[in-house]
Amino acid sequence: MPALRLEGLTKHYGQPPKTVRALDGLDLEIEQGEFVAAVGRSGSGKTTMLDCIGLLMRPTQGRVLLGGVNTGRLTDRQRAELRSHRIGFIFQEFNLLPTLSAMENVLLPLRYSGGDRTAGRRRAGALLEEMGLADRMHHRPTQLSGGEQQRVAIARSLIGEPTLVLGDEPMGEVDTETSAMLLSLMRRINLESSVTFLIVTHDLDLAARMDRIVRLRDGHLVGDERSAHAGATRRPTGAPAIQAPADGEADLVAV
Amino acid sequence: MEILRNLWRRKLRSTLTITGIVMGIFALTTMGAMAEHFDALLAGGITYYGSGIQVADENAPSGSIGGGYMALSAVAQIQAVPGVAAVFPSVMELAKPGAISIVNMGAPDYIANYTPGSNQYSGFKISLAHGTWITNASRGDVDLGSSFAAEFHMKVGDTIDLPVRPSDAKPDFVNHAFTVAGILHQTLTAPDSGAFVSTHDAQMLQGDGLPSALKGTVDPYQLVSGAVVYGKPGVNLDALANRITAQVPTVQATKPSTLVNAFKAGGDVFTVMTTATALLALIIGGLSVVNTMIMSVSERVREIGLKKAIGARTHNILTEFLAEASLMGLIGGAVGYLLGVVLTTMLNGSNSSQALFLITPGLTAIALGFAVAMGAVAGLLPAIRAARMDPVTALRAQ
Repeated sequence: MPALRLEGLTKHYGQPPKTVRALDGLDLEIEQGEFVAAVGRSGSGKTTMLDCIGLLMRPTQGRVLLGGVNTGRLTDRQRAELRSHRIGFIFQEFNLLPTLSAMENVLLPLRYSGGDRTAGRRRAGALLEEMGLADRMHHRPTQLSGGEQQRVAIARSLIGEPTLVLGDEPMGEVDTETSAMLLSLMRRINLESSVTFLIVTHDLDLAARMDRIVRLRDGHLVGDERSAHAGATRRPTGAPAIQAPADGEADLVAV
Repeated sequence: MEILRNLWRRKLRSTLTITGIVMGIFALTTMGAMAEHFDALLAGGITYYGSGIQVADENAPSGSIGGGYMALSAVAQIQAVPGVAAVFPSVMELAKPGAISIVNMGAPDYIANYTPGSNQYSGFKISLAHGTWITNASRGDVDLGSSFAAEFHMKVGDTIDLPVRPSDAKPDFVNHAFTVAGILHQTLTAPDSGAFVSTHDAQMLQGDGLPSALKGTVDPYQLVSGAVVYGKPGVNLDALANRITAQVPTVQATKPSTLVNAFKAGGDVFTVMTTATALLALIIGGLSVVNTMIMSVSERVREIGLKKAIGARTHNILTEFLAEASLMGLIGGAVGYLLGVVLTTMLNGSNSSQALFLITPGLTAIALGFAVAMGAVAGLLPAIRAARMDPVTALRAQ
């Protein structure tokens, strides 16, 4: 059973004749443990796709299946629960709460999912250590560098032990060196815990270091290929691999 | 903890908002304390005057202490009226003649006779905190009400001159030394400002204060100010009052319901004043909270989006913002209440004759509860707005 399956995913904004087709019948299947990049020009629909997969937005048509669960039939409450237990989010601008320490930011999702607080604190501590932030646990976001903040955000995305982590340009606000370091970190977690990563990025060098690259254009999937690093994870099934056209970096979507 | 930090993020704004609540609750506390004191006073009056019939000479001015005289012989005539269980003559004089009390919410200090046995008939009981009761045979002894004793720093065994000599005393002013035999428990109503002597001593003091035209022509020991009549069980006191007026010449019995209704009407005024203050507090504090919370929600749109993305449900967001608004109410309420307690305590201490304010557990609960509820109600609209926010829109907000 794939970790994620999109069937004819469609999202339209506005009313005819000014309808914007952000996603137009997108089909995609990602297996558990894949390390996938999604690339595409601005307006290609990659963020909308991420929002639909993250259950933050309901598609106009089509289905999002997470671990075989048809999320279209879920109530808002059930979708919130699924987000809480199955999905982790990493954002470009970190989105850490300024009033909370690094540790408290990491623990934030547990506030809404419930569970053992002591065990949660232990796990948060371990995650922050894993992120190299053992001595920064009680610092506020303003006391941390961009890279450190994003590492806190990654730890926060993992605290609920999700099966799928969605990143929306997570390296967009950090320098190249930090970006590479963060990717290595996510890669290690991906390999160690079999957590599926789907990262939207404009950085093709970064995308090239991932197992699979999917490319979006005008709401369609126009490319799906495995990179040279794909050996670490299983080959995705479902949609046939599509050769990425060599018509410019900005058009590339890596999955 | 996070809520406090959120409030602390915008120190000036939070401080101003909380100050608004402080002002409102401070006003509510002080006005409420005044109303509580007045209510206690009225409650005592209602109990006392509701359980007995006040009888005075038909020509005596009503509602005054001293100045009216009734023949003692009328007491026996009243006793003979069917339905009367007991009649106690009352003699009452001002304890501080000529003293002007600028702020006085209760009875002025007074001297009255205490007749053993009356306490068992009266609906309003008084009791001794220290010392012994006055008896009919007592001479030169006094039992003091709690406020009276506190005002003159009296304890059992001390001596006090009654009536108290005013600064502008007339040449013929006379007073007598009394030994404090007992001090009464606080009642929060009229007996607190009373000095109770035997009927004989009260008549003596009354005789000292007789108008010069009467002095030497009447026996002061045959005069009283009036009488308090208690009915037999099951007797309608209003009807009994009418019978006394009809059957005993020269006296006027006031129906208990008339006095009770007058007291209740006085209480209504304070209820209106307290309610008006509460409304004022609601408007001042409530609008501040609404404004602050709307600003807070507007500034934290992305935070709301994030929380929704990581699993927060509508009610989680609603609860968090409501808690923040309620906390502002609680902090403002607590500070306003404490300021109110400090001020009323100081004013009570500075008013030598009688306390003006009464802080009760009920008032405390109302002040704090009102503050928290006001914060919550005022924060409801912004909280709903935050809770209903679309996560995608919120996350992408600039």
